Amino acid sequence: MANFGNLMDGFGIVFSAYHLGLMAVGVLLGILVGVLPGLGAPNGVSLLIPLTFTMDPISAIILLTSMYWGALFGGSTTSILFNIPGEPSSVATTFDGYPMAQQGFATKALTLAFISAGIGALFGVGVITILSGWVTQFALKFSSPEFFAVYLLTFCSFIGMGSGSPFKAVVSMMLGFAFATIGMDGMSGNMRLTFGITELIKGISFLVAVIGLFGLGELMQTMEEGLRFNGIHARIKVRDVFGAIISLPKYWVTLLRSALIGCWMGITPGGPTAASFMSYGLAKRFARNKSGFGKGEPAGVIAPETADHSAGTCAILPMLALGIPGSATAAVMMGGLMIWGLTPGPMLFIERPDFVWSTIASMYLGNVMAVILVLATVPLFAAILRIPFSIIGPMIVVVCFIGAYQISGARLDLWLALGFGIVGYLLKKLDYPIAPMVLAMVLGDKTEDAFRQSMIFSKGSLTIFWTNSTLVAVIMTLALLLLLWPLIGRLTGRLRKTI
Amino acid sequence: MTRLTVEIAVACTAALAGAIVSYGSLKIGTGWGDAGPQPGYFPFYIGLLIVLASCCVLIEVVIEQRRRKQVFLTREQGHRILTFFLPMLGFVAVSMVLGLYVGLALYLFGVMTIQGGYRIGKALAVCLSTIVIFFVVFEKWFQVPLLKGPIEALLNIY
Repeated sequence: MANFGNLMDGFGIVFSAYHLGLMAVGVLLGILVGVLPGLGAPNGVSLLIPLTFTMDPISAIILLTSMYWGALFGGSTTSILFNIPGEPSSVATTFDGYPMAQQGFATKALTLAFISAGIGALFGVGVITILSGWVTQFALKFSSPEFFAVYLLTFCSFIGMGSGSPFKAVVSMMLGFAFATIGMDGMSGNMRLTFGITELIKGISFLVAVIGLFGLGELMQTMEEGLRFNGIHARIKVRDVFGAIISLPKYWVTLLRSALIGCWMGITPGGPTAASFMSYGLAKRFARNKSGFGKGEPAGVIAPETADHSAGTCAILPMLALGIPGSATAAVMMGGLMIWGLTPGPMLFIERPDFVWSTIASMYLGNVMAVILVLATVPLFAAILRIPFSIIGPMIVVVCFIGAYQISGARLDLWLALGFGIVGYLLKKLDYPIAPMVLAMVLGDKTEDAFRQSMIFSKGSLTIFWTNSTLVAVIMTLALLLLLWPLIGRLTGRLRKTI
Repeated sequence: MTRLTVEIAVACTAALAGAIVSYGSLKIGTGWGDAGPQPGYFPFYIGLLIVLASCCVLIEVVIEQRRRKQVFLTREQGHRILTFFLPMLGFVAVSMVLGLYVGLALYLFGVMTIQGGYRIGKALAVCLSTIVIFFVVFEKWFQVPLLKGPIEALLNIY
């Protein structure tokens, strides 16, 4: 039970007025970011990272993770009250959440969403607490070929598990890799792909890309669709809150199933969005009353919310233990870790146990705090959405650009953010997935280093990825299977048709 | 403008980007050097993959018939995008010369009065308070200076 002892030490560090205060600030900022259209969790975390440069890493990660939880909760609030998902992962919540609110059960829908999200998150942190020691042991056996294999597995799973065209996923991902190689090469010191532009020597920061792709791109899309808020007035009645809590145990099967789906999708990089949709679909399939779904069925709120949050928290485990983020937001946070001078991966657990375990401890406290704060502030944030968009819209734009400038104080970054905004808008409109691009930008250098080091070991022979150890062979084979999955699926589909 | 046109344009642009990446890598060596793979090795193949995958996307969208007639942007949507995008472009351009504080004030003021129909007094109040809040939060509290221009220099604010 070494994990438990470590966790208690973590709680000891987190329980200070300063850290709890940061947590509250993070959660509130997160809710704000989640509620505002165009600003999501990945983008919000990117905007905050420059402000954490002067903080110690523990305080910084508490602030960022709390913001993440807040953003997840904020996204659900707008889904239920306005039928506008503040986050892509809360799209599934609108299916039944908004009809419930329309029928006058707004408080019930919100309470069910928040509490089940909280349960999902705590389940996720519990899984992290139990698994982290084991994952670290496992990861310590890794050398460069194994790391490359795991990175490959991550990237292949994005291609194989994605719902859209696999070729589009490859294009988006490879563009991310290409952006990551711009600037000085870490191994040889050569300038790569700078084409004589001195401002490109330091490379293109993935934070600028996230702000453009997720922030500005999403705003443009919101504008194009014509923003209309048909909000439902929310007044939280304490009696309804308790009524909803009492009704919750009835749904224990849905809760458990959704939490498990979320954990699986969070640890393997499926991400919260896929988890919430999958969980909604399964809840509908197994429900006795299928016709109620889409018209305000409580289980239709509980299922996506639980899975969304348990995936969101579980995505932190592979990020800390292997250096592989399970979601776009986790990717951004991992970038933050590297900026603070920490190296995500198994050694982090050995060198900085205080950091790892305070992060995990803060995840327990942060989620509990988020549930309470979000319930208390629903009317306030619903009121923010009633501010006319001709004020809120430009404000969000300004915040995005200020965030882009702050990353390194470079003028070029403002233009780059704008460019990424256009790219993000176009790609989203044409159904190119954006998360693989961000992931490739964050992991690009590490993947390339692992590949080049393996090539040096093997003197240029690719067979090292199958012969170095059984582990690497298994991971590589799995990765290739996942990569070819869309093709296999199509072939078997065609076979079935002909038979 | 149909969706197919835009799909083709984006795929071609991506392929071009891939070609540029591969071409740029050729100059720094894509083979095997004294210390293992040369710096251009990895990006060269990334570039090739971009070209290859974009071509596959191109074939895919051309084969899929149903998207041919789909409209990419209606006139109204295009208008909405432009009324949002052009002021944003102006904001970045002005900020390059006059700094972010002046840029954001002009941008907010413009959008609020022209598009939002607010009265000048109210818009001015919002702009000034935004400047003050941002200045206190970023310059004083977090000590991360924002881009400043000639007007701040005249007023001796650094």
